[in-house]
Amino acid sequence: MFGAVAAAVALLITWLPRSASEQADRIDFVFWFVTAICIAIFALVAAVIVYAVFNFRAGPDDDSDGPPVHGHTGLEIVWTAVPAVLVTAISIVSAVVLARNEHIPRAVAGSPNALKPLVVDVTAQQFAWLFKYPGYENATSSTLRLPVDTTVQLRLSALDVLHSFWVPEFGQKQDAVPGLVTKLVITPKRLGTFPVICTELCGLGHAVMRSEAEVMTAAKFEQWATSQKAGGGGGAPSAKTLFVSNGCNGCHTFKPAGANGKVGPDLDKLAEEARQAGKPLEEFIRESIVNPNAYVAPGYPKGLMPGTYAGLPQAQLDALVKFLADGSKQ
Amino acid sequence: MRVWRRLLAPGWLRVPWMTALFFGIGAGITVLVRWLEGWHPIWDGSIITTVELTTVPLGFLAGLGGFDYWLRYAAGSPTQPEDHSGHGARSWKDYFRINTDHKVIGIQYLVTTIVFFVIAGLLAMFMRAELARPGMQIVDNQTFNGLFSVHAALMIFLFVIPAFAGIGNYVIPLMIGAPDMAFPRLNALSFWLLPIAGLMMVSSFLAPGGAFAAGWTGYAPLSVHQPLGTVFFNMGVQWAGASSIMTALNFLVTIITMRAPGMTFWRMPLLVWANFTTSLLVVIATPFIAGSQFFVLFDRAMHTHFFDFSGGGYPLGYQHIFWFYSHPAVYIMMLPGFGIASEVISVMARKPIFGYRLMALSLMAILVLGFSVWAHHMFVAGMAPWLRVPMMVTSLVIAVPTGIKVFSWLATLWEGRIHFTTPMLFALGFVSMFVIGGLSGIYLAAVPIDIHTSDTYFVVAHIHYVLFGGSLFTIFAGIYYWFPKMTGRLYDERLGKLHFWLTFIGFNTTFFPMHWLGIHGMPRRVADYAPRFADLNLFISISSFALGASTLVFLYNMIKSWRFGPAAAANPWRSLTLEWQVSSPPPIFNFDEIPQVVGNPYEYGVPGARHAVFNGERVPEEVRVR
Repeated sequence: MFGAVAAAVALLITWLPRSASEQADRIDFVFWFVTAICIAIFALVAAVIVYAVFNFRAGPDDDSDGPPVHGHTGLEIVWTAVPAVLVTAISIVSAVVLARNEHIPRAVAGSPNALKPLVVDVTAQQFAWLFKYPGYENATSSTLRLPVDTTVQLRLSALDVLHSFWVPEFGQKQDAVPGLVTKLVITPKRLGTFPVICTELCGLGHAVMRSEAEVMTAAKFEQWATSQKAGGGGGAPSAKTLFVSNGCNGCHTFKPAGANGKVGPDLDKLAEEARQAGKPLEEFIRESIVNPNAYVAPGYPKGLMPGTYAGLPQAQLDALVKFLADGSKQ
Repeated sequence: MRVWRRLLAPGWLRVPWMTALFFGIGAGITVLVRWLEGWHPIWDGSIITTVELTTVPLGFLAGLGGFDYWLRYAAGSPTQPEDHSGHGARSWKDYFRINTDHKVIGIQYLVTTIVFFVIAGLLAMFMRAELARPGMQIVDNQTFNGLFSVHAALMIFLFVIPAFAGIGNYVIPLMIGAPDMAFPRLNALSFWLLPIAGLMMVSSFLAPGGAFAAGWTGYAPLSVHQPLGTVFFNMGVQWAGASSIMTALNFLVTIITMRAPGMTFWRMPLLVWANFTTSLLVVIATPFIAGSQFFVLFDRAMHTHFFDFSGGGYPLGYQHIFWFYSHPAVYIMMLPGFGIASEVISVMARKPIFGYRLMALSLMAILVLGFSVWAHHMFVAGMAPWLRVPMMVTSLVIAVPTGIKVFSWLATLWEGRIHFTTPMLFALGFVSMFVIGGLSGIYLAAVPIDIHTSDTYFVVAHIHYVLFGGSLFTIFAGIYYWFPKMTGRLYDERLGKLHFWLTFIGFNTTFFPMHWLGIHGMPRRVADYAPRFADLNLFISISSFALGASTLVFLYNMIKSWRFGPAAAANPWRSLTLEWQVSSPPPIFNFDEIPQVVGNPYEYGVPGARHAVFNGERVPEEVRVR
């Protein structure tokens, strides 16, 4: 009976997100495999406890003792051996699925893509994601775009602290560690847009360190990636690209860049802030990038913004200052 | 002259000026070193605070008299004959002094830990209030990160671990027929480190930048670059850890050397076995967390680069060292609970514990296996990939000894004469809830599922089923079970049962839905979440407030019964173990006659069976002062 109740709970509620990758399908299989075993064990335990509660209850004045049973070797062997067999089965299933989930198909000779599988370099920093496509002259994007039914290898790195890349519908997760390159394999199988979530506590803006993963048809992806390549290839990157590639969009709202971060001050109001700080707009912006603690907007803690932007190349800094000043004047 | 004397004698009058003196010493040394080395600024608040977190507690302990005996000994002064004036409680004031009686210390432990339990619970209420709706309403991000960090740190280091140490402190010497712990002065000192550690963690909310906010795990490199509050965690863990280690050594020596005649290892009650294995875990593992926190402190204050990759450090090193302690810590927080459950279930079911030897051996198996599974916390951390499958296998194998224990408890219930007292309800609640926590642990041990569920609310649900449904339920069972022994009074059985049912229902409605949240995409440690999770989060928040309110019933019952409850008989549960063979509460030196252990501790239903006899041999006069 308890098995039935537990099974009903397991089956009637949608326990798993709708899978969007081949890896998630296999993980779901392990999930149900383990669940079947767990329901059996839980039902057994619950049944014995409830049976005992109703049948072995002592009356209020019952001072007698139970039968002096000290043990039973056969039973003890059984409940040592059966769980041992079950965990062995779970281990084997898990190990096989793990190996298959990390398997990358070999490059097919004569395939149209130079790099197969598709490689995406993922850079995590407080509190933004940046996706770079080395197969497309390092085209960059602040959202992840993937072609459907293609095995993708993500190479993750972090600039400051630990972050973790997770798309629930893909079922795959991997920490990004400063100083290491970690890897993750995903084979999307369904079109759609899914949340990219940071799951490793990375500081103040951890809860809003989000992006999106869009799975598109191969043709559409090719078209998008090639256009990014054309836009980003050659010459200096545009100021808008700089804004995204430096992660400014992770924390700040700024309409001209299409950014809507909520961790730091709203950059559309820069002109007003500069007035309050009593400085000319451009000078104020430059100082705030290079030395963020010189003036801290009211309501925000000191030391929140990373001080690492002092190291930006002069040309890039100039471009950003101009971009921000022009944008906030409108 | 009298005033002078009182100012110099150990006690609360000496505490203020000694603490101030040590504050001065800490500040002085820091300023002197910085001046000599020419570091600017010479007066650096954050560095001085870091040093003060070591010196001020030392001043406090010295003032209270924690070191007097040893200092006198080290200085070569003539030994003062022990007059036992600091042993045992004659009035409530004796609970606020350095006291060498293990029974007083046990109660000091329990009351202190319950205070921190309430504080940590209130922090959780704040969290749930913020999480009741998506978006930010009550606290800002940094405060929220501080709330869950301090909540977890207090619950683990200031509640679960020391609460078990408190129960053990009271019960273990009585159970093995000893007059006290092996090192009573060390025992007193290890208690007084606890309020220091707890106050340090709570007061981090007052530090500039707020409380430590990198989680109770304090992962580097994030924790290295957090505001000053992190140091309060680094040092708080040192004080709590030192307390833990000293108590564990004390338990080990006591259990090995001070058992009554006839008390062989195979005649020890399972709680004694559990504390023995737990103490081994503590002694071996705790130095690792001390190390990990010192490394973080050094990275921060001395600019070393243990975990800073740009300086040649290894960020994952922190996690390896940290979990090498913190996974065994899970068993430190669970094995004493197993012991308590065994005591309660056997007595209340009026049957011998089923498979006693296998029960003891499975504790030892968990002890050994517990050291080989730490990296299952790191399946997605980026560590060496080949390490994952072996760690999965060892983690899953732990299900075998744990299963043995669960099935043996069930077999003990079978055909028993079960008395559903409050401790028994909590013990049965523990078995059923711990099974759920253990089974969700199988999901997390299986690498592919863990990759999906790691760092989500599924993990939050799992740890609460293990630590709340497991540890906390057994702590409650233990407190109710030994309440008559500790206070000499009976608790209110109706309120106790009410407390159990409110807790049991509130606990399940709070934590069970979290499994679903985690699988569907809600990461842990966030103040804000996707709007589609709003309804379930509101439900969880409301349940959690009900769960919090159930604690009021417990507190009211404890306080009321301690003051006004009916007097308890020596052995209200008709138990065979030794602590119930003396009066409630026991005499100051526990036993007026030396007990002679003649049989096993759980021989219920065996006609004429005795665990111990008192053969009239008097305890020597010199240890029976008063």
